[in-house]
Formats: sequence, C-alpha cells, structure tokens
Amino acid sequence: MAQAREVLRRIKSVRNTRKITRTMELIATSKLKRAMDRMVAARPYSDALGELLRSLRAPGLEQDHPLLRQPAETKRAAVLLLTANRGFCGAFNANLIREARTKLEELEAAGVETELHIAGKKGLTFFRFRGRAIASSTIAIGDAPTPEDAEGLIAPVRDSFESGALDAVYLVSAKFRSAMSTPPGTQLVLPVEPRADARSVDAFIVSPPPVKLVGRILPRYLTSVVYRALVENAAGEQGARRAAMKSATDNAGEMIDTLTRSYNRARQAQITQEIAEIVGGAAALE
Amino acid sequence: MARLMELRVVTPEKVVFEGAARSLVAPAWDGWVGVLPGHAPFLTLLGSGPLEVDSESGERRAFGISGGVMKVESNQVMVLADRVEPS
Repeated sequence: MAQAREVLRRIKSVRNTRKITRTMELIATSKLKRAMDRMVAARPYSDALGELLRSLRAPGLEQDHPLLRQPAETKRAAVLLLTANRGFCGAFNANLIREARTKLEELEAAGVETELHIAGKKGLTFFRFRGRAIASSTIAIGDAPTPEDAEGLIAPVRDSFESGALDAVYLVSAKFRSAMSTPPGTQLVLPVEPRADARSVDAFIVSPPPVKLVGRILPRYLTSVVYRALVENAAGEQGARRAAMKSATDNAGEMIDTLTRSYNRARQAQITQEIAEIVGGAAALE
Repeated sequence: MARLMELRVVTPEKVVFEGAARSLVAPAWDGWVGVLPGHAPFLTLLGSGPLEVDSESGERRAFGISGGVMKVESNQVMVLADRVEPS
C-alpha cells in the first residue's frame, strides 16, 4: 500500500497547484479585459496628436526645433526597455529582454555608444545580474500605467536628445496582436521620422506660431507614444500570463489523469496480491 | 451656415466627451477663445481653466481642463487636453 499512498499524495499536491494556476488564469483574464479597454481608450488621443503633428511638419522646422533635429550619424543611442514586474507569464519577459539585447548588440557592433533605461523588475533584475550599466530604471509602474508614468520614463531621454547628448532613442516593448500573440518589438521614437504624407497647415490660423506650437506638442506626442506602449505592454503581460496559466492548468489536469491511473493500478495490484496470498494460504491448509 | 459643430474632448487616457455643440469657450494659452459653428480652421495651445460648452439641448456643460491643444476644422472641434476634471 506504500506506493499507492505515495501516488495519492502527489495527486493531492498537483490538484492544489492546479487550483492556484486556474485562479491565476482567471485573474489574468479579468485584468486583460481591463488592460485592453485602456488600450482602446488611449488610441483616439495618440492618433489625433500624431495626425496633428504630421500636419505641422512645415519645411524648415527641423532647424528651428531641437527635438525635430535629424542627426547625420548616430553616436549615442538610448534603448528604453519595458518589461513586467512579475513573472508567471511564459516567455513574455524573456522575449523582451532578448529583443533589447539584440538591439544593444547591433548598435554596439555599429560603433554606437548605448545607454539602457529599464521599466519593470524583470528586465532590471536580468541586466543588473549581468552587470550592465543601467542609466535609469523604475519598478513603480503597475497594472494600470498612467500618462505620468510615461512622462517620467521619456523625460530624461527626451532632454538628452534635445541637448544633443543622444542621437537616437529606441523603445522595446511588446506588441499586442492578440491575447495569444504578444511578440516583442523595437520602435524608433527619436528622431521623429519625417512623413511623406505631410499636410500643410497654411490654411489654419495657428496660435502661437508653429515652431512654438510644435515645441509644445512634440513632448506630448512622445509621452503618448510611450504611454501607448506601456498600456500595450500591460495588456500583453496579462495575455501572456493567461496563456501560460492556461497551459499550466491543462498540464496539471493531464498529470492528475496519469497519476490517478497509476494509483488505480497500484491499488489493483495490491488487491490481486492479497487475494493470491489468501488463496495460497488456503491451498496450503488443505 | 451650420448651427452645430462636432466636439470631442480627449485625454491621453480616454475620450471624455463626444457630441454636438452650439458654441464653446475654451481657455487658450493667451486668453479665452470662443468658437461658433463655421469657425475658420484654427489651431491653438490651451492653458488651464473651464471649457464651457453649450450642448445641442441648450444645456451648459463645463470641463476643467489643463494643457493641451485645440483644433478646429470644418465644424469639427478636437480638444486634446492633458487633464480633464468633470465639473
């Protein structure tokens, strides 16, 4: 009976684990829903602002505003990495970290000085363990990022770009294709790429003059780009966690099935053996 | 001339108001700006203060806004504010 009892104990433990993973799956599902709502709600603002900015790209503005400068060559670049604060979400964080490392290596191979800014405990722990210099980091951004969080992240990098200390800023974050697919991606945040579809604002009464207006709108635009990435990242994290917890729950279920089968077999073997012993004992008496 | 214009008040986080308006008064960076239907294309920075809206039903609504931009184009008013407090 010893072996059967051992199996019974394992079944109980796996069942408890399954209870936990299932709960985590349910929590992630409800958080995912809210994170997706936030993602959708953030869209009109950044779309409208982006369009506005494009329509303001009057010729000659590059010289006038430091944030619009287009560096001829990239000497120093910043990589802004967004990761989650918590694990249990499959390869989500690992993918983001790998993407950031690839980008850093690529830049360094091209002879570009790099600096790394990190949001999220997972990315921070990894790079700190690797002994890499980290320019700035925060772990204070929760499940519901705010525009202020985004502002706090982008402000120092934006200032460095404006003063000419940086020539490019890359943002590494998860793209939310669907709850099941959240691949990492890198986007160039600064310099702001000129668009071909620029529309002139000549028809507009603009107050204050465009150069000053752009100077005020651009920082907001950058913040909204980062905010959007933060919100998307948060949704991606929950999506990845839900997927990971779902497969953990499924695996636990399968494990329980297999264990139950071997428990039944062990019990049956025990019974068979006992019967054989009884029959054997009776036969010996005759 | 059209008697109504479409107004959207948007913050980075969400769309605060979407609907028709008869007129509005907004706190621009350098003073108050009144907008009526048929206004010429207009782009301005916003300061902080109440954004007063005469809605379609004649009811007066106010939002406390701070910072941002306002765009007026072909009877569509887009207010992109940094922050909006309902009041």
